[in-house]
Amino acid sequence: MPPRAERAAGGEDASRVARVWKLVIAQAASRPGRASVADVCTAAAASVDVSGAWVTAGDGMNPGQAIYATDLAGESLAELQITLGEGPCHDAAASGAPVLAANLADASGNQWAVFAEAAVRAGAAAVFALPLRVGAIRVGVLGLYRDKVGPLDTLQLGNALILADIATMLLLDAEARQADDPLVGAPPASQSPGLAAHHAEIAQATGMLTEQLGVGITEAFARLRAYAYVQDRRLSDIAHEIVTRRLRLEPDPPG
Amino acid sequence: MNQELLTDTFVDLADTLVADFDVIDFLHLLSDRAVELLGASAAGVMLADPRGQLRLVAASSEAVRLLEVFQIEGEEGPCLETIRTGRPIVEPDLAHAKHRWPRFTPAALQAGFTAVHAIPMRLREQVLGGLNLFRDQPGPFDSADMRIGQALADTATIGLLHERNLRRAEIVGEQLQAALNSRVVIEQAKGKLAERLGLDMDAAFTALRRYARDNNLRLSDLAQTFIEGDPAEFPGLTQPAHHRHRQ
Repeated sequence: MPPRAERAAGGEDASRVARVWKLVIAQAASRPGRASVADVCTAAAASVDVSGAWVTAGDGMNPGQAIYATDLAGESLAELQITLGEGPCHDAAASGAPVLAANLADASGNQWAVFAEAAVRAGAAAVFALPLRVGAIRVGVLGLYRDKVGPLDTLQLGNALILADIATMLLLDAEARQADDPLVGAPPASQSPGLAAHHAEIAQATGMLTEQLGVGITEAFARLRAYAYVQDRRLSDIAHEIVTRRLRLEPDPPG
Repeated sequence: MNQELLTDTFVDLADTLVADFDVIDFLHLLSDRAVELLGASAAGVMLADPRGQLRLVAASSEAVRLLEVFQIEGEEGPCLETIRTGRPIVEPDLAHAKHRWPRFTPAALQAGFTAVHAIPMRLREQVLGGLNLFRDQPGPFDSADMRIGQALADTATIGLLHERNLRRAEIVGEQLQAALNSRVVIEQAKGKLAERLGLDMDAAFTALRRYARDNNLRLSDLAQTFIEGDPAEFPGLTQPAHHRHRQ
């Protein structure tokens, strides 16, 4: 049977998240400290075939502040959009969907004429903006650029989306550490990033925890992940127990 | 076959360029109407995520969700096959399909489903997902029903990619991801409402959908603002006394 859509449907690709995560870990091993969004950006160059990458962090409808870029061009592209208040990263942050501009010079396809012109001068021919989101939880945008025109193929888009999921979890982990949550000491994104971002019961349980704990959705998700980590159990199992009302979390964190 | 409902369904599925169009609500309409029109007990819509996995985006009940999740994790089953081959997959009697899908079949039988028809959602050469119909009685599927099922799936595929400019290939990827993220937002909102009112997830979803319709809101916009806002701002949603049944 000719596996036309094999890339996009299960099979051996069930381990793709793990493979992309290994690429990020390999980047992290080459420098001191924990894995961070910097490693996601450098891994992008290897697995998505882009010239450079950047990450912005912010929790609203805007892309937020640039926190890392692989090179000068990436930095310019991030800053240009912040300065101009327009560009694919803005659209991605506002809509929650990726914005894939495979040819910045093609005026018919883009709505950000000023940014596009400046981006081409900065050395970009194509820009891809991927929102860092878990449903209603928004943490920023992953930006990728190429110095040649051309779209991401299905495999590259898939890897870019997985990298965006990983960047999302790393930013959430970093936030939790700053807030002195029990995630301190946790290996970053130790739970499968793909699963955490797309599993229906995890999303339902996160929503339930906003009410049980009286907190916002971002903190509810942090508390859910922290609980699973402390208990050393699968996030999906904990979520299932919450959704089936066999487990409730208390407003005050234990310990 | 209810001709009037069939006509209405095609009109509704084609009506995707309206301002308040919501893709997840739309795919739920597809699964609900497929159940009503085609004599199925349950239906579910799955999309192929470029991340390499299938995602259930709409289902006529949570029972289908459990089955589809099993199908995703088990990496076998009729919907996976229809997406891989681009062809419809029919199994009129699951009692005889234990070798075909050794893990999926027992789960389906246990959920009360004895026959399955999986229909590909195609855009030219690309298979974007599948519509699965489940029945609680074994027996062959009617060939006219099967053609209507494919027509519903085809119409829904165009609706899913409701951007006009389908020649830009990237739009497909952008639209699919928008749909997948909307679905997560809606699941989060279901959880919040279910906890607040002591509802099960099906009832919470029904309440969200009804409120969105009654107030001319897009379901995913409602879900987003409900999660971010104070539930007291949604009095009609958080105090629907007539369908409260605290567990």
